[in-house]
Amino acid sequence: MHPPLLPRLLPPALLTAPRGQRPAGESRRQGPCGTRRDAPGHRTGPGGGTRSRRDATAPLIQLPRHRREASAVLAEVFPQQMEGVKLIVTKTLSSHFQVTHTVHMSTLGPSSYHFNATFVGDRQLGPTEAFPTLIGDMDNSGSLNAQVLHLVAERIRTKAVFQTHQTKFVTWQFDGEYRGDDCTATLTLGNPDLLGESVILVAHFLQSITSRLVLGGEMVYHRRPGEEGAILTLAGKYTALKWVATLNVGYGGAHASYYHRANEQVQVGVELEANTRLQDTTFAFGYQLNLPQANMVFRGLLDSNWSVGGVLEKKLPPLPVTLALGAFLNHWKNRFHCGFSVIVG
Amino acid sequence: LSDQVSFIGTVAAAGGPGAAPQGLRGWLRRAYRFATDRNDFRRNLLVNLGLFAAGVWVARNLTDIDLMAPQPVP
Repeated sequence: MHPPLLPRLLPPALLTAPRGQRPAGESRRQGPCGTRRDAPGHRTGPGGGTRSRRDATAPLIQLPRHRREASAVLAEVFPQQMEGVKLIVTKTLSSHFQVTHTVHMSTLGPSSYHFNATFVGDRQLGPTEAFPTLIGDMDNSGSLNAQVLHLVAERIRTKAVFQTHQTKFVTWQFDGEYRGDDCTATLTLGNPDLLGESVILVAHFLQSITSRLVLGGEMVYHRRPGEEGAILTLAGKYTALKWVATLNVGYGGAHASYYHRANEQVQVGVELEANTRLQDTTFAFGYQLNLPQANMVFRGLLDSNWSVGGVLEKKLPPLPVTLALGAFLNHWKNRFHCGFSVIVG
Repeated sequence: LSDQVSFIGTVAAAGGPGAAPQGLRGWLRRAYRFATDRNDFRRNLLVNLGLFAAGVWVARNLTDIDLMAPQPVP
């Protein structure tokens, strides 16, 4: 019997649009139901969960590590919007290789099938970190999401992300990260195009001031023919025993989040985002109730877009099956979505 | 409406026995309009800041619940 793979293998990177780049009239947080999460799918990995509908030509950049971690913590608390019926079957073929089949019968758009394959190498640095890691996800239309993570040296990590829409490359992104004893520096190249003279460059630096306080900054530089610009964002994170607070302030707006772990059963997340370019602010309150004795997890959401929603996940032992039921209601737009998922494996 | 309100404010500033109530009424009217104007960015920011603070307070003070505790016997 093969030893189990690392838990919580990351799905392909779910990327977010750079701040301010959003179709006119479209709220960053709004989905089909007007709720926070507009894309039903797997529980997201770092940086995911806040993707909005976007211009297909707009480049996507993954959040820096500190914001990925903060987003990942909050993404665990907030429910993911569900609609239609989804079947997810995961099969571990060996201690290094895992495949996932996802069939989604959608009520809003076309139904889809995704095939995901994940390979994890031998070098394991932590419960969720192993190198090299290769992740690929392809859907029935031929669109591909691929991610490669590699540990070049003890303190240097690299990552490459590729995303295609059918036959056309939408995103190609390269990351280099240096992890020091008390600091982290990352450089990201997004969609570099030498012939088209365009690139998006993201550089960020985080420094641990104390054992609980981390301060840093991020600079996003973009260049296209006839246009270039840069945005500077300052970031701070304070970690206490039971709670974590983050604050990002930049030219385009601000983002604040608060995560509180009340006890083993209850976790709460609060989030505020203000975008000065789009003149838009949003607030969201989410909570997670975890009852391992009942094999149940419930996540609820309330936000400033007049949306409420919840997802209930129930394991069905002794079968390796999890049933998830979700419903979201937007009172302001008078929209309601519900769906369920069956997860095998 | 805003012109009428400013006109009222001007009349109120001109003095007279009804100046103070007129000014106060005008202020209340402006405050009400600010509080209910969903298109105002500053208003939305203040409202959401208040909601964020309330959410943090709720998270810190009202969530330490034992969901598996037995119900109290009446």
